[in-house]
Amino acid sequence: MKRPITTTINERTRDIVVAPNRTLLEVLRDELGLRGAVEGCGVGVCGSCTVLVDDRPVSSCLMLATNAEGRTITTIEGVSRDGELSPVQRAFLEQQAFQCGFCTPGMIMAVEGLIRENPNPDEAEIRDYLSGNLCRCGTYSAVIAAVQSVVVQARAETENSRPAAH
Amino acid sequence: MRRFQLIEPDSFDAAITALEKDPGAKAIAGGTALLILIKHGVYLPETLVNLRKIRGVAGITFDPKKGLRIGALTSLYDVERHPLVRERYPVLAEACHVVANIRIRNLATIGGNLAHADYQSDPPAALVALDARLELSSSSGTREVALSDFLLGAYETVLEPGELVRAVLLPTNEPGWRGAYLKFTTRSSEDRPAVGLTALIRMEDDRCVDARLVVGAVTPTPVRMTAAEAVIRGRKLAGDLFAEVGSIVERTLEPIDDLRGSASYKRRVAGALTERALERCIKQGGPQ
Repeated sequence: MKRPITTTINERTRDIVVAPNRTLLEVLRDELGLRGAVEGCGVGVCGSCTVLVDDRPVSSCLMLATNAEGRTITTIEGVSRDGELSPVQRAFLEQQAFQCGFCTPGMIMAVEGLIRENPNPDEAEIRDYLSGNLCRCGTYSAVIAAVQSVVVQARAETENSRPAAH
Repeated sequence: MRRFQLIEPDSFDAAITALEKDPGAKAIAGGTALLILIKHGVYLPETLVNLRKIRGVAGITFDPKKGLRIGALTSLYDVERHPLVRERYPVLAEACHVVANIRIRNLATIGGNLAHADYQSDPPAALVALDARLELSSSSGTREVALSDFLLGAYETVLEPGELVRAVLLPTNEPGWRGAYLKFTTRSSEDRPAVGLTALIRMEDDRCVDARLVVGAVTPTPVRMTAAEAVIRGRKLAGDLFAEVGSIVERTLEPIDDLRGSASYKRRVAGALTERALERCIKQGGPQ
């Protein structure tokens, strides 16, 4: 039997009706038209369906949609602002951190999760956090360079925004 | 995914009532293990009871007398990141950290991990070494069971119909314990363990006064290497002893073959991991 739930998706509160056996990924793609998250393996291994739930990355293929109730979901469609790419998206473009692009939405959401939890990760922390997001084109080193450039940029902006010493 | 009925209680007691009413119903928490089985058609439930919307069964608290209490619905990531776990039971943080990947650890719960009783998993070996006990709840009340008694075999536990894991309890640790959890995978870094090894040793000056060696993922339930532990006790830990203890583990372990390694391979890996884990205990110092 379907049940109504209230959830926040990309900063918009939604009242939706979901079947008990539907995953969050299926509801996002088939019912809400958010097709950025894609299904690779369907068993939580590849990471291409990564979305943030309350700012943490999860495999949306292994989360029952009903459990989105009362949660805040962020998908790749929700990271850009007013038509502007997010710093992570820009860095992926600048560093050419993708080739075929299948893993990219999930990869970017995992990086968004990392930066939100730890704005200043070192390389070991980046590798550890992203180790479960697979890229069969092998763009890993470019992905790490992209994350590092976001970190460096954010640090520079923080320093510039400090009031100048007299 | 095949259809099933989903009951969504808002309290732990309501979940127990739902499970009692329908003996065929099973509980689902994080879902990372069960949904894969359902997707693959290995398990086809008629009714599942969703525990995920119940409040107040997650969270970690510490009482100096009673020890650590981890609510069953605490995610593996919350266990691994919690300051109390990292300070007092770092070997548990290590064992949770190497499970699958961050996305799974954010969904999977510690109670679900233990109730599912998959032998190829990391946390059980660490928790058995730490003398974990489980708080089980049913309509007839609450009982406490040692984790080593709770796990009967692969996917088999002492849970009665209508009974749920409510919390994981860890005793207060005496000072002087050091520990390491080492995971060995044979397919990919985020794979389930082919062998998982927990070493805990308690030092007084430079002598080892107590030791626990638990190997996971090689037998239907985590197994304590009591002969190897006995050799360590009372001894000074140094190079020769590591190799001696490793070879005892290799000789006494009786692993099962599976697709992650043959029995003889796993035996040798467990011996090597024992040496490495003891070396790490000595190098690192500090508490568990």
